[in-house]
Amino acid sequence: MAKTKLEHLRLGIFVILGIILLLFAAYLIGNRQNMFSKTFEISAVFKNATGLQNGNNVRFSGINVGTVNSVEMINDTTIRVRMIIQDEMRNHIKKNAIASIGTNGLVGSMLINIVPGSGKGSLITPGDELQSSNKIGTQDMMSTLNVTNENAALLTADLLKVTQALNQGKGTLGRLLNDTVMSNDLQKTILNLKNASNSANVTMIEMNKMVEQLDFEESAAGVLLSDTISGGKIKNVIEHLETTSIEIEKMAQNLNSIIGGINEGNGAINYLTKDSIFVNQLERSIENIEQGTERFNENMEALKHNFLTRGYFRKLEKKEKKNSN
Amino acid sequence: MNYNMEKDTTNIQAKGFKKSKNGTERKAVIRIKNVIKSFGDNHVLNGFNMVLYEGENLVVMGKSGSGKSVMIKCLVGLMAPDSGYIEVMGKEISTLNRQTLDELRSEIGFLFQGSALYDSMTVRENLEFPMRRHKEKLGFVQDTTPLVMEALENVGLAHTIDLMPEELSGGMKRRVALARTLILKPKIILYDEPTSGLDPITAKEIIELMRSIQRKYGTSSLIITHDVDCARVISERMILLVDGINYAEGTYAELSASRDPKVEAFFKK
Amino acid sequence: MADSTKTVFAKSKLVGRIKQFFIQIGELSYFAGRFFKEIFTAPFEFKELLRQCYQMGNRSLVLVCMTGFIIGLVLTLQSRPTMIQFGAVSMMPNMVGISIVREIGPVITALICAGRIASGIGAELGSMKVTEQIDAMEVSGTNPFKYLVVTRILATTLMIPILVVFGDLIALFGSALVENLKGQVSFQLYFNTVFDALSFGDLVPATIKSFFFGFVIGLVGCFKGFNSKKGTAGVGIAANTAVVMASLLLFVVDFIAVFISDIFYEL
Repeated sequence: MAKTKLEHLRLGIFVILGIILLLFAAYLIGNRQNMFSKTFEISAVFKNATGLQNGNNVRFSGINVGTVNSVEMINDTTIRVRMIIQDEMRNHIKKNAIASIGTNGLVGSMLINIVPGSGKGSLITPGDELQSSNKIGTQDMMSTLNVTNENAALLTADLLKVTQALNQGKGTLGRLLNDTVMSNDLQKTILNLKNASNSANVTMIEMNKMVEQLDFEESAAGVLLSDTISGGKIKNVIEHLETTSIEIEKMAQNLNSIIGGINEGNGAINYLTKDSIFVNQLERSIENIEQGTERFNENMEALKHNFLTRGYFRKLEKKEKKNSN
Repeated sequence: MNYNMEKDTTNIQAKGFKKSKNGTERKAVIRIKNVIKSFGDNHVLNGFNMVLYEGENLVVMGKSGSGKSVMIKCLVGLMAPDSGYIEVMGKEISTLNRQTLDELRSEIGFLFQGSALYDSMTVRENLEFPMRRHKEKLGFVQDTTPLVMEALENVGLAHTIDLMPEELSGGMKRRVALARTLILKPKIILYDEPTSGLDPITAKEIIELMRSIQRKYGTSSLIITHDVDCARVISERMILLVDGINYAEGTYAELSASRDPKVEAFFKK
Repeated sequence: MADSTKTVFAKSKLVGRIKQFFIQIGELSYFAGRFFKEIFTAPFEFKELLRQCYQMGNRSLVLVCMTGFIIGLVLTLQSRPTMIQFGAVSMMPNMVGISIVREIGPVITALICAGRIASGIGAELGSMKVTEQIDAMEVSGTNPFKYLVVTRILATTLMIPILVVFGDLIALFGSALVENLKGQVSFQLYFNTVFDALSFGDLVPATIKSFFFGFVIGLVGCFKGFNSKKGTAGVGIAANTAVVMASLLLFVVDFIAVFISDIFYEL
């Protein structure tokens, strides 16, 4: 009998403890979703929800203050997001606060950041609609960076080819021909470079702007940078970009000096023109060709006036006239 | 001595009441008429007939696999026969619902072949188990200990009350099982191979116990066995179960003197 | 000639197997139906239910906790390097927490219990059947189905979810320990992150699912034990097939549960 009593006691403890744990877990989860505290609802309208889901966190100045309650489509460019906010936040959030969608870290879940607006404003009331800002999302930023990087890689590869070819240039006709192609290439490359460095500059300026904003404003990238790992990565990317653009500039300068060299008679092409034997030969052969063509022309004239072939040439003339008519 | 070679057994009905030794008519407590039971192609009972009279010791003998256990299980409704009539204490088994069947079962003690003590319970709990659903029969007693002790003393095992079945020997288990069948003070006790798996001395003890219990409570006993010694000691009347029918019937002396080859086969040493 | 008879023989064997499979499913369904019929009719074997709950709940706790702890530990250790490669090591609690609560906790606990409880029930009821204890119960006026089967199935159905709760907790604890030692994440931060990541969409289906897991374990164990064949070999087969069938059915139930909760919660 005592044994069964003990068993029942242990069973009771086991069951009660299990149920308490389960309820506690449920309470913790519910608490995160503000199910048990007093709340009020506000909304904001976005152009792009970027994967925002019900239950995502809402942060005000970086503190979790509520959750997303619903994400509904109003029309093709308007999405209304309703949020449930803890009641005590009514004394802190003002009507001019700005809501934006961001991510929790680079690969984290989406969340809504509410940042206080500038200047003074009255406190928010339930049902209010916050202003929203559609900042560049991480994805957009990353894709831009990616394109820039790819362009830079292509450019450096091209430049490498060109410089190698320049260094190996020797005085032959083939090289000469190559050189003309090369110089065309070079000109194009320089144009590209100019474009690229321009766009890199623009990107840099944008980035700088963004980074400046980040310092005082809680935006998507702000969260990114505050996450130390991903922040470090972005900084790396920016540093790389900077070095790349510096290198591009250097290279452009080099190219300019090379082109200058060509004009002033230094470098590969100049080398060719200084090769006197070759030049003489070239001159002679060109003279020969010129003489050849002159004689050929004379022969042709003679043929035209010959009685045997006169008829044929007249026919040709007639045909030409017909065609021109 | 009766032989029942053909399956016609109408004479059993006429023998429903039989003169006892002192001349008074004895009442039949169990009647089995023309019971057929088969498992697939295996025809176990092929028209079996039997009557058990009040206060008598009837032994049904048969080879193992001859359907003795099936017959006894049909008696308490553990199995249903394919056809035939089974009546226990005036009630036809097949017509009873769960409740009335349970009431009837409380009047029948059943000693199983392997004792069938509940492994997970102590001896006391084993003995208390049948009382769970038959409290009214025992007058709604709160403290069951005296009843348990009485039943255990009947089998001479009062000291084992708080042991587990695994701590008991085979013979002790059988005796505890006997005590358990007695706890509801049944009017009929069905013994399924009461001596199987026991050494001859313990078997003798069990048989003695069975006889003393019968003397004490005046129960009717139906004993199923293939053990000739057991049958000799305890039987007042015997039925030989051969090929699914009650092949021969009589006292031990009558049957052991029979020249019928099928009957002789039982008594050959 | 010999070949053709062989194929005919093989074919009939296959047909027999398939037939046997459907017979098993049918009998199991009938058994479950009988359970639901008996559960609502008096008398109720409450004391035995408590005893079984103790046997299945408390007695399995240590086992479940040990496996849970190890699973949490191993899961975290194994997935950490990958997460580090992605630079998302701060997401570890979310990932491990969700996978444990949603799937791994309930399934591992149920499988462990299928091994311990289903085989135990199969062997116990099987030997009771073989030694005629079930018949003895029936004869002494107690409905063995109610006394043995209903109590056991109810006990597993009620106890497995509680064991799952403990298992989940211990697994999360194991995972937190790894994070704490290797990643300098405090326990408080770990559990904060876990519960931040969890939603009712994770907890509720998993809890409901574990009730069904418990039911399956009890049902299959009782079914195999109650229908055990005669002899000691029959008991062994009953215990063995109970584990196999219960584990298999657990996965089927898990699949159905995930399928349904996917519809309701759009995971």
